[in-house]
Amino acid sequence: MSTTPLTSPSPILEAVGLTKSFSQDGEPTQALKGVSLSVAPGEFVSLVGRSGSGKSTMLSVLSTLLRPDAGTLAYKGQDLTTATEAEVNALRHGDFAVIFQFHYLLPYLTALENTLLPFMRGLRPVSAGQRQRALECLERVGLADKAHRLPGQLSGGEQQRVAIARALVKEARVLFADEPTGSLDSATGATVMELLGQLPQEGMSVVMVTHNEDYARLAGRMVRMEDGLVV
Amino acid sequence: MNILTIALRNARKKWVRTLLLLLVFTLGVVSIVALGFVSRVVGEGLEKKLVSYGANILVSPKSEKLTVSYGGFALGDMLFDVSYLDEASTVAKIDGIGLRQNISVIAPKLVVMDRVKDTAVAVVGVRFEQEKLLKGYWLVEQGEVPTRPEGLLVGSAAAAKLGLKLGDAVPLGKHSLVVAGILAPTGNEDDNVLLAHLATVQQATGRHGQANFVEVAALCSGCPIDDIVAQLATGLPGVEIKTLRNIVEQRMYSVHFVKRLILSVSLVILLTGCSMVGISMLSAVNERKKEIGILRSLGFSRQAVFSIFCAEAASIGLLAGVVGYVAGYAVSFRILAVLELAEGAVIAFEPLHLLATALVLALLTSLASLFPAWKAAAIEPSEALVTL
Ligand SMILES: Nc1ncnc2c1ncn2[C@@H]1O[C@H](COP(=O)(O)OP(=O)(O)OP(=O)(O)O)[C@@H](O)[C@H]1O
Ligand SMILES: [Mg+2]
Repeated sequence: MSTTPLTSPSPILEAVGLTKSFSQDGEPTQALKGVSLSVAPGEFVSLVGRSGSGKSTMLSVLSTLLRPDAGTLAYKGQDLTTATEAEVNALRHGDFAVIFQFHYLLPYLTALENTLLPFMRGLRPVSAGQRQRALECLERVGLADKAHRLPGQLSGGEQQRVAIARALVKEARVLFADEPTGSLDSATGATVMELLGQLPQEGMSVVMVTHNEDYARLAGRMVRMEDGLVV
Repeated sequence: MNILTIALRNARKKWVRTLLLLLVFTLGVVSIVALGFVSRVVGEGLEKKLVSYGANILVSPKSEKLTVSYGGFALGDMLFDVSYLDEASTVAKIDGIGLRQNISVIAPKLVVMDRVKDTAVAVVGVRFEQEKLLKGYWLVEQGEVPTRPEGLLVGSAAAAKLGLKLGDAVPLGKHSLVVAGILAPTGNEDDNVLLAHLATVQQATGRHGQANFVEVAALCSGCPIDDIVAQLATGLPGVEIKTLRNIVEQRMYSVHFVKRLILSVSLVILLTGCSMVGISMLSAVNERKKEIGILRSLGFSRQAVFSIFCAEAASIGLLAGVVGYVAGYAVSFRILAVLELAEGAVIAFEPLHLLATALVLALLTSLASLFPAWKAAAIEPSEALVTL
């Protein structure tokens, strides 16, 4: 077991001794073998490591998309491993945002609507204020003129920026990004990285998995994983 | 924009699938609704007939002949072996049965063919005083029911076709009859015939004391019609006794049968539609795993995901219900016109039924998508989103 020393006196997100194993065809794979990580408010952490080292699994557990087998995960002091489903949903809806390598927008909603998706959870219609905010966020990621396009009419980098705008519009506190530039060419990847790099300055914590060492170095802290452990 | 937007946008994007499902359900609703309207009208019409049918027992000579039509060609004119009843004794026998108090009218009839202005027409000899009791619905448009022996009452269609007016003379055998009254349209065979006094027809044609058949009206509240028929049969051996009630009931039965047939076909259509919805939703769930993952990662609850799928199915049902009801309403007019039942039939468009139909359909399609929706709700965001 390895632990990473705290880099901040009051971490917003703190994971201790997380384990997770999958059983594939009856053979168990231990993807996480007891990893600990803490993230301070406004901190930019990059997770690097070889393929299969457990980065995606780690990110999924940290972002509540996957429950760990053991270990604890606390957000602002609240234990997420014992949180109720409603509490987890509230967190996913509010403070946590996730973006992936393959941008993941709903194909039948426009860029603007995809940005507004967090506000379409219930029967209450999206307010004019929320819509205005979404337009501003799209403008911020440079897509003001493409707000009414469907994902199919946007390039990969543009789609990724819509996903970032979606995280911005709901004023997430922690952004989890799994290889956000993985499917983009280097120029497009650079613009996405530039956007991500600005976020910690506004107090948003970013945890990013990447294979690109240059991008990883842009982060305030680089955490390397190997075979289910932080090294 | 709210959660329903997600469901509706997807339905719009997959418009071919949506249209197909809509079509199937609309078809089912149209047939059920049209069936409902038409069978109500037809049933009401038959019931009215059942009530207004004065005669409900028909006494006629037993005929030993085979069918009198061949290949759809009626051989009526070629009949030569017509048998007759003895009017006086038959009426007396009917008059003498134990359940006589249940019999209101005994109306013997003799039907002969005549030529008027080179057109063949049936002249029916009747006892007018009995006939009036039997046919309370008769409306004499011009003149009156004949009182004099040579008087003639003419059916509306026959009058029009033969150009007969009040006072016109009509030859029958050696006699000459005079038009005394013209009936308003009745909607039955009376429209096409000439009615005269039975005795006059018997004399004119040389068939003294003979009748073709006797119509009997039994009082039918708590009708012991089977007992009456049994008593008539013992009193009149060798005579055929048919209850018209049975005929009407048989007709009702065939209406019910057709109704049940169409109903089961419609149910099969709806069931097929439901399984189509179920199957297409199920495959959509697999297709849309990633979407479900996105929604869940944005804090959509399982119930929210569940309701998106249900709402999509329900919207199809709702629309099919509305379109189907309106179309079914229109279609039933067309059917009634084809069945020549349209006039006099009132089918009311009932907004409440429209609402109920739409809601039932929405419920049905939601039920059909229950399992897929439940599967969708069970999808974990990580398994849907993380690319290994
Ligand atoms: N759902 C799953 N079922 C079975 N095994 C899994 C599952 N998810 C991950 N694993 C296994 O866990 C280990 C860690 O996988 P993970 O996806 O976290 O690696 P990674 O560091 O993200 O790799 P890459 O850089 O290729 O994305 C791997 O051995 C993988 O096969
Ligand atoms: Mg990965």
